[in-house]
Amino acid sequence: MTGLGTLARLALRRNRWFYLAWILGMAAVAPATAAAYETIVGPLGGTGALDLLAGNPTMRAMLGPPYDLTSPGPFTVWRVGTFMATVAGIMAVLGVVRVSRADEEEGRTELLRSGVVGRHAPLTAAVLVGLAACAVLGLLVAAGMVAAGEPVQGSVAFGAGSALVPAVFVGVGAVTAQVTSSARAARGLGLAVLGAAYLLRAVADAAPDGSATRALAWLSPVQWMALVHPYGDERWWVLLLPATLTALLVAAAFALEARRDHGAGLWAVRAGRDRAAPSLLSVGGLVRRLQRGSLLGWLVGLGVFALGMGSLSGSFDTMLEQIPVLETMLRRLGQGAEQLVDAFFVALLGVVAVLVAVLAVQLWQRLAAEEHRGHAELLLATAVPRARLATAYLVVAAVGSTAASALFGALLGLPESLSQGDVAPMLGSLGGALVLAPGALLVLGIAVLLHGWLPRLAWLVWAVVGWSLFMVWVGSLLGLPDWLVRLTPWAVLPALPVEEMDWAPVLSVTAAALVLMALGVWGYSRRDLRLP
Amino acid sequence: MAVIEIHDLVKRFGSTVALDGLDLTVAAGEVHGFLGPNGAGKSTTIRVLLGLLRADSGTARLLGGDPWADAAQLHRRLAYVPGDVNLWPGLTGGEVIDLLGRLRGGLDERRRAELLERFDLDPTRRGSTYSKGNRQKVALVAALASDVELLLLDEPTAGLDPLMEAQFREVVREDRVDGRAVLLSSHILSEVERLCDRVSIIRAGRVVESGTLAELRHLTRTQVRAEFASPVPAALAALPGVHDAVVHDRTFSAQVEDAALGDLLSRLAPLGVRSLTSTPPTLEELFLRHYDRTGTGTTRP
Ligand SMILES: Nc1ncnc2c1ncn2[C@@H]1O[C@H](COP(=O)(O)OP(=O)(O)OP(=O)(O)O)[C@@H](O)[C@H]1O
Ligand SMILES: [Mg+2]
Repeated sequence: MTGLGTLARLALRRNRWFYLAWILGMAAVAPATAAAYETIVGPLGGTGALDLLAGNPTMRAMLGPPYDLTSPGPFTVWRVGTFMATVAGIMAVLGVVRVSRADEEEGRTELLRSGVVGRHAPLTAAVLVGLAACAVLGLLVAAGMVAAGEPVQGSVAFGAGSALVPAVFVGVGAVTAQVTSSARAARGLGLAVLGAAYLLRAVADAAPDGSATRALAWLSPVQWMALVHPYGDERWWVLLLPATLTALLVAAAFALEARRDHGAGLWAVRAGRDRAAPSLLSVGGLVRRLQRGSLLGWLVGLGVFALGMGSLSGSFDTMLEQIPVLETMLRRLGQGAEQLVDAFFVALLGVVAVLVAVLAVQLWQRLAAEEHRGHAELLLATAVPRARLATAYLVVAAVGSTAASALFGALLGLPESLSQGDVAPMLGSLGGALVLAPGALLVLGIAVLLHGWLPRLAWLVWAVVGWSLFMVWVGSLLGLPDWLVRLTPWAVLPALPVEEMDWAPVLSVTAAALVLMALGVWGYSRRDLRLP
Repeated sequence: MAVIEIHDLVKRFGSTVALDGLDLTVAAGEVHGFLGPNGAGKSTTIRVLLGLLRADSGTARLLGGDPWADAAQLHRRLAYVPGDVNLWPGLTGGEVIDLLGRLRGGLDERRRAELLERFDLDPTRRGSTYSKGNRQKVALVAALASDVELLLLDEPTAGLDPLMEAQFREVVREDRVDGRAVLLSSHILSEVERLCDRVSIIRAGRVVESGTLAELRHLTRTQVRAEFASPVPAALAALPGVHDAVVHDRTFSAQVEDAALGDLLSRLAPLGVRSLTSTPPTLEELFLRHYDRTGTGTTRP
């Protein structure tokens, strides 16, 4: 383990902004929600209605089962805790893979290893930095909750859970980074495990009380923080589950690393074709081939999510009859919908619209990676103009993200359509999703513009995405000023079916996006290529 | 006609001046060696020629066109091998060769097969599983199998084993018969010596020496060593054009400029020469002098 200290410091320095942005974003949510408790519960006229709402299978599937809604602490754990722990899991997987497999893939680790550095030191550094980030997140959550006036003991439990759940995914990322030889595949595999864990607890938590399925939630690491019952009876022993699993996974990662060669994965890479298929022999063909894996992963993930959410929505109607006062709350989330189902769809589509923008930006930014890795240099030394290369990436990003919107919209309404024997719900949610798609295109336009003119500031687009996600997720719940909440690329677009269809904003946002894209591609054709 | 004409080219990266008034001419059908220490600006020059980087000032003409404005059209007529070849991890070598060939405007099928054979390259392996040398070979096959007028090769043999390097030299020599021009950046002197018609030496962003190898040799000094019957007069060391002279009793050795050789020899003869060796300058000496950052940089009298 020689050189570990140096490596850990290096990893910390190279990734501090990455971790800091994630941690600060997440840590702010819990105390803000606790502080807004009165604002949220007040209009419902007490917690009775909230209990009914929280008992609804759909809500339980999304957020987990509540165990106490009478005070801000446990309410926060229910409302944002599990979700935050899951998002922190994303941070953990991405972070560990970034420092371990991505560095190895790019040959940086080889350079380090040839110095006086122990065999496992790079992976250890990656794991340590990841765990440290989880610990900081936990500390900030606990401190923030105490600062918001919540009991210390519960806050400590909440913070510990918020640290240990993502710690499990530090272990997951460390393992997947050993299994595959590419960082891309390692990230995909790690996030798939996280998605499966979230889905498992959604299915388990949506099951009726007393059903055996409910117990399955214990198998999902993302649920373990809530299962501690912070601010309730604090079952401290539950924290042993993530702690043990983390230790096991990290040990497994080291054992796997010891069994593989440097630069290789455990999955052997098979030989391929000796000639290129005709479909590969163009820039567009190459880009489609390079992007199809991540696009497909996203489509499958969004599709499963849409079907799951769509099939639960039926239970809303009955609930609306039971507690009319809920309308107030859900209308706020769902832009004032008459039908609770509609409100639910609108709220969901709003969040997914931002996720689709994440997909669009990710697909686009592959071009920056291609420059950084020297692949763009190879291509641009052939008879390929810059604009054509950029456009190929742009088309895949725009079409791919719009297709993802359409798929999500269609599958969200599909279960309702099947049960009613009427295509209307499906067409409705499809339209609602598609009408929001120009927002993602606008974000994509910003990314293209930045890449064309200010490639060093390309990360700024993630600030737009992060801001928007924060606003659609908790902005209206926290009772932030309306103009602030509406300061996103999606706010001007009509929220179908609650609002009337209005082509003007749809077309003008699309036009603005196209202008930004054209400007960005123009800038890209004029600047120095970024080289390895 | 010249395929590459560069005049007074300047390229800055922030405060770093990578090219500082570079002049370079490569004639059609010529194999031109491009040498210089690390960071001298070789790769930068080639990337400006490829339109990947934009020059700050100066002029550059490539195959009669503007390398920046006409980049894509010009690239149909040239092929490039970067110094550090990075392949897509998921694509096989064969796929990359076909792709780059097609994007350049076409590939000579027979030549592709022949080159794969000669470079002993397995085209079914994926980018992530190739060694550095094999990655280099993929780019070389893709470049050499294209029917182009100009090859821009940036340290193309950096990762090749000696056998493959010999193959590479042979292929380039055959190509020369077809009248293909080559700009070959390299640190391997024997390679340059064996392949190149002309050589340019670049240092800190400027060309400090350019010419045929014979011309460059004339710029350097011959090592002369002589043994005499009687002690050597110290005055010999002070002759113009004689450098680093060491006079030791009956032996004399010095570096002598070509122009001073005749004069020196006529003075040596009366002393009764027992033995005389004169070693022509090696290219290596010439290059090392230029590579040496503390040296004067130029040997031009
Ligand atoms: N993209 C860049 N940004 C900043 N500086 C650069 C960039 N590319 C090159 N340089 C600098 O320009 C100078 C010339 O670099 P270049 O790569 O052309 O050298 P080289 O002659 O090819 O060296 P080597 O023999 O090591 O390949 C160096 O000082 C280098 O640091
Ligand atoms: Mg170079």
